[in-house]
Amino acid sequence: MKIGIPRALLFYEYSPLWIAFFSNLGAEVVLSEQTNKRVLHQGTQTTVDDACIPVKLYHGHVLNLKDKVDYIFVPRIMGVSKGDFICPKFCGIPEMIKNSLTDIPKMINTTIDFTKTDKHFNDTIIEIGKYITKDENKILSSYDSALSEFNLYKDKLKQGQLPTDTNNINIFESNNRKIMLMGHPYNIYDNFINMNVIKKLRDDQYDVITPEMIDDNITSEYALQYDGKIFWNFARKLIGSCLYEVEKKQIDGMIYICSFGCGIDSIVSEIVERRIRKANIPFMLITIDEHSGEAGFNTRLEAFTDMIKWRHNLENNLSTHG
Amino acid sequence: MEKLYLGIDVGSVSTNVVIIDGNNNIIDKLYIRTMGNPINALKEGLKHAKVKMSELGSDFMISGVGTTGSGRQLAGFMVGADVIKNEITAHAIAASTFIPNVNTILEIGGQDSKIIILKNNVISDFAMNTVCAAGTGSFLDRQAARLGIPIEEFGAHALNSTTDVRIAGRCAVFAESDMIHKQQLGYSKEDIINGLCEALVRNYLNNLAKGKDIKGPIVFQGGVAANIGIKKAFEKALGLEIYVPTHYDVMGAIGSALLAKQEVIQKQKTKFLGLEMADVDFKVKGFECSHCPNVCEVIGIYKDENLSARWGDKCGRWTNINIPSPTV
Repeated sequence: MKIGIPRALLFYEYSPLWIAFFSNLGAEVVLSEQTNKRVLHQGTQTTVDDACIPVKLYHGHVLNLKDKVDYIFVPRIMGVSKGDFICPKFCGIPEMIKNSLTDIPKMINTTIDFTKTDKHFNDTIIEIGKYITKDENKILSSYDSALSEFNLYKDKLKQGQLPTDTNNINIFESNNRKIMLMGHPYNIYDNFINMNVIKKLRDDQYDVITPEMIDDNITSEYALQYDGKIFWNFARKLIGSCLYEVEKKQIDGMIYICSFGCGIDSIVSEIVERRIRKANIPFMLITIDEHSGEAGFNTRLEAFTDMIKWRHNLENNLSTHG
Repeated sequence: MEKLYLGIDVGSVSTNVVIIDGNNNIIDKLYIRTMGNPINALKEGLKHAKVKMSELGSDFMISGVGTTGSGRQLAGFMVGADVIKNEITAHAIAASTFIPNVNTILEIGGQDSKIIILKNNVISDFAMNTVCAAGTGSFLDRQAARLGIPIEEFGAHALNSTTDVRIAGRCAVFAESDMIHKQQLGYSKEDIINGLCEALVRNYLNNLAKGKDIKGPIVFQGGVAANIGIKKAFEKALGLEIYVPTHYDVMGAIGSALLAKQEVIQKQKTKFLGLEMADVDFKVKGFECSHCPNVCEVIGIYKDENLSARWGDKCGRWTNINIPSPTV
């Protein structure tokens, strides 16, 4: 049996878990192609106009799996951590897909709530696994081993490897200047929609740090320092990462990538910007949408990295026009 | 032999060419409309520079060239640039060279607007307009044309305003409909133009300059700095004096010439291909690559009919010009 997973939205956070789970159960996992012009085009053509670009890309990725699989995994994500909420688009994505797209394979759209008790969560896992086998013990043991694989993967992230990296690297041993890339995982790891920002920064001799490299317990602890109530899960992750970096002072700049029209980013980027600026760390916000011309993006990126180099040269009393 | 340096800024609306000497004096400057054809605009600029160089005589030579602006890659390839730099860096270099201790640069061009904050002559912060082109030169151009006023005189009309008229400045489409509605109520052109200048400045300050630490000395540059109405509106809103440099319209080109000078002095050589490039036939031919679903729009630059550079492909497969372009 072939299970398709769209390479979009929470894919960049949870895909190793679900790929391992379905594979352990004996299913063949098929991923949609990397985001490309056709995915973007089909996504923007079929999605409701008001949706943000990540949701449009998700539609495109679902279409990309059409005719290739028996089921497409489009879960309804209700919650990922206790006490905070996830953007409503994750709760409504199965309906958006059902109503906007036709002639697509059957969907697995089980409701997933990671904040449920173990007993309840086991029911969720069994419900998903039953699409492949009736053996409940096999389903649960497949999930358990997938979870341990996932935890190993998360350890690798903490050493500085990005979800998009294939080889092992450890940036914390390098002397390069470090730029933190902030934003939702589906913006900072989708190299098509973010105009290959990670490669551009690395080619320019910067190491890239992302919130996923910081342990969830640490970000949650640092997020407690924030004096307002943090409503969204993403907000907690990003604000926590920001406050952690402000204290550790190990980054030379921060670039926040947000998608046009994102309600959560509109508030979080503002909070993060204020804290980062107070710490005298260079900050830049880049808004992305369906652009494919890179000139405007490159101009900003180049000016930002120039600025960091100049500042360093000034501090080292070298030529100011480095 | 005196060494001169060429700076080229190929922007969305104008293409600017300057020549500076070793002491940063402006020997020549030229501001031409790009008119959607950067290659022709640049060739015209180079022809002009050639005439100027022959006037100066054989004691002078161009020893380095820098390009900036959104067409900087194309221009850099055509002339053999020593430095290809983004326009934010170029503007900051130019302003800080000519106006010592400048703290804030307001730059409004054809399609972009920027704010650059400097500390100790080094950029400490900047912002560029994001999704909206309201409050840039193209918008003013369009409104001037609609009112039948030459853009050069547009700003001066604002100074004759007697009544405050508020125009919506958040969006160019909103601004235009608001202007039309106010005009239909009978407000004078002068009042409406003044209202528009104030709206543009309000939009700039609320959007780009939001949260920025604006301190004097403030320099206002870019093509729109010619507009006295906008300058006055900035002064009114900020309560600070705004300084418009003599060569406000070509500051980006000056910055790239300064960068080129520095590069050439350091490297002791130039990649400049010579002003004869003005007479070379440059053509651009594009094709859609069908190798993967990205369907990249690949651009080939032909120099006298010979393919000499190609870009636009994400994967770089067409960068090697020895591979023939597919026949379309």
